[in-house]
Amino acid sequence: MRIFFHFGRYYLLLAKVFARPEKTKIYFRQIIREIDKLGINSLGIVIIISVFMGAVITLQSSYNLENPMIPLYLVGLTARDSMILEFSSTIVGLILAGKVGSNIASEIGTMRVTEQIDALEIMGVNSASYLILPKIIAALLINPFLNIISMIVGILGGYIATVITGAIPAPDYIDGLQYSFIPFYVTYSLIKTVIFAFIITSVPAYHGYYTFGGALEVGKSSTKAVVYSSVLILLFNVLLTQLLLA
Amino acid sequence: MIELIGVHKSFGENHVLKGVSTVFNQGKVNMIIGQSGSGKTVLLKSIIGLHEIDEGQIIYDNRVFSEMNNKKRKSIRKEIGMVFQGGALFDSATVEENVMYPLEMFTKMTEEERLERANFCLKRVNIENANKRFPAEISGGMQKRVAIARAIVLNPRYLFCDEPNSGLDPKTAIVIDNLIKELTQEFNTTTVINTHDMNSVAEIGDSIVYVHKGEKWWEGSSKEILLSDNNELNDFVFASDLMKKIKNSGF
Repeated sequence: MRIFFHFGRYYLLLAKVFARPEKTKIYFRQIIREIDKLGINSLGIVIIISVFMGAVITLQSSYNLENPMIPLYLVGLTARDSMILEFSSTIVGLILAGKVGSNIASEIGTMRVTEQIDALEIMGVNSASYLILPKIIAALLINPFLNIISMIVGILGGYIATVITGAIPAPDYIDGLQYSFIPFYVTYSLIKTVIFAFIITSVPAYHGYYTFGGALEVGKSSTKAVVYSSVLILLFNVLLTQLLLA
Repeated sequence: MIELIGVHKSFGENHVLKGVSTVFNQGKVNMIIGQSGSGKTVLLKSIIGLHEIDEGQIIYDNRVFSEMNNKKRKSIRKEIGMVFQGGALFDSATVEENVMYPLEMFTKMTEEERLERANFCLKRVNIENANKRFPAEISGGMQKRVAIARAIVLNPRYLFCDEPNSGLDPKTAIVIDNLIKELTQEFNTTTVINTHDMNSVAEIGDSIVYVHKGEKWWEGSSKEILLSDNNELNDFVFASDLMKKIKNSGF
């Protein structure tokens, strides 16, 4: 029964979040700040992980495709499709759920336990909207760019791996990248990223907003935020894949 | 003036406020005192609308706050200044930004006007050369004073303070007390302070409400409190050896 309680409270919070903003100018400034905090600051980790994952996918594929009947360009195709379909959206989503999600939950949770949210409410500010809406909008705007960067860098990582290790000839890898490319895969990946961006920001914000107690509870909220966001990302990954690709 | 009529508040089975009725007058420092767990913080949070009351009325100058929806309450909330126990300053904003925040949110002032008003308020609470510092970089006493500056920046009609002296040394506590008293008189606010600091009560309290087990147990002035024959109140007021000695010496 607790799930219905949380679902109802989450829905009511979202209704508050999407209420008309008090002063659009201030919200706009907040969105820019959040884009920097949630998006630009995550660029480093996204690039590093994508490069290495692209390289590993390429090397593992090449070592497992030893049958001479299987063309070598399939390694490039595998790396490309793995990066576009799954890694850049879902795995990067899970990584951001850990990094950004815990950050959001602990930030809002700390504001709750130190009465900063009460201070906003007493001033007559819609605290839910003021604190959460800019984060959601920022993530919806910046995460698709992170996704695209992850795709490009990951495929590049695979290329670097082929050049350095000589696992397959680089021209075969490039052939594979170009072979049977389906542009909708990129759209599918971007749709998933937008949905995951909403989960990554709204679920941790919910956990942070309803933190009661002290530092210990802030920590618990942060952990819950990461766990629930990750589970929801995996669940929506299945649903969206069935809806968009089946 | 703020009037409370038969205010009740429960959290599940726990009946915290049991029909509290009183009046907080304009231009006076009204104090709510009581032991920890007596319900005074719940009472203060109910008055400002952070808790919804179950029964009774809260009236701000003939406006029934407790029966208003959130939209209507906004107009009254803009007349309220609140100083929280821990200051509740925004960590990510500087001292100056904290004080300017209500102006930015609710007025059409230009950047220069906002800065001028914020500097005036900061000067009024004796904070200078700390505009660009963050809350974590200033002392507890300074944080309280910045919180007071933020609370008065919109010229509030009602000023609420939740244990403004907690965690402060006696000298700084007196500075904060005197500041609140001065501001109350200067801006003619209805000031309500939640405290269990008897020194504050004696120094600046005009009207005192003693809350015991969720009920208004006693009401009177800071002079009357020392002469009261109410047993529970006396147990609270003269709990320390120092206060007992003062009482035995005949004040």
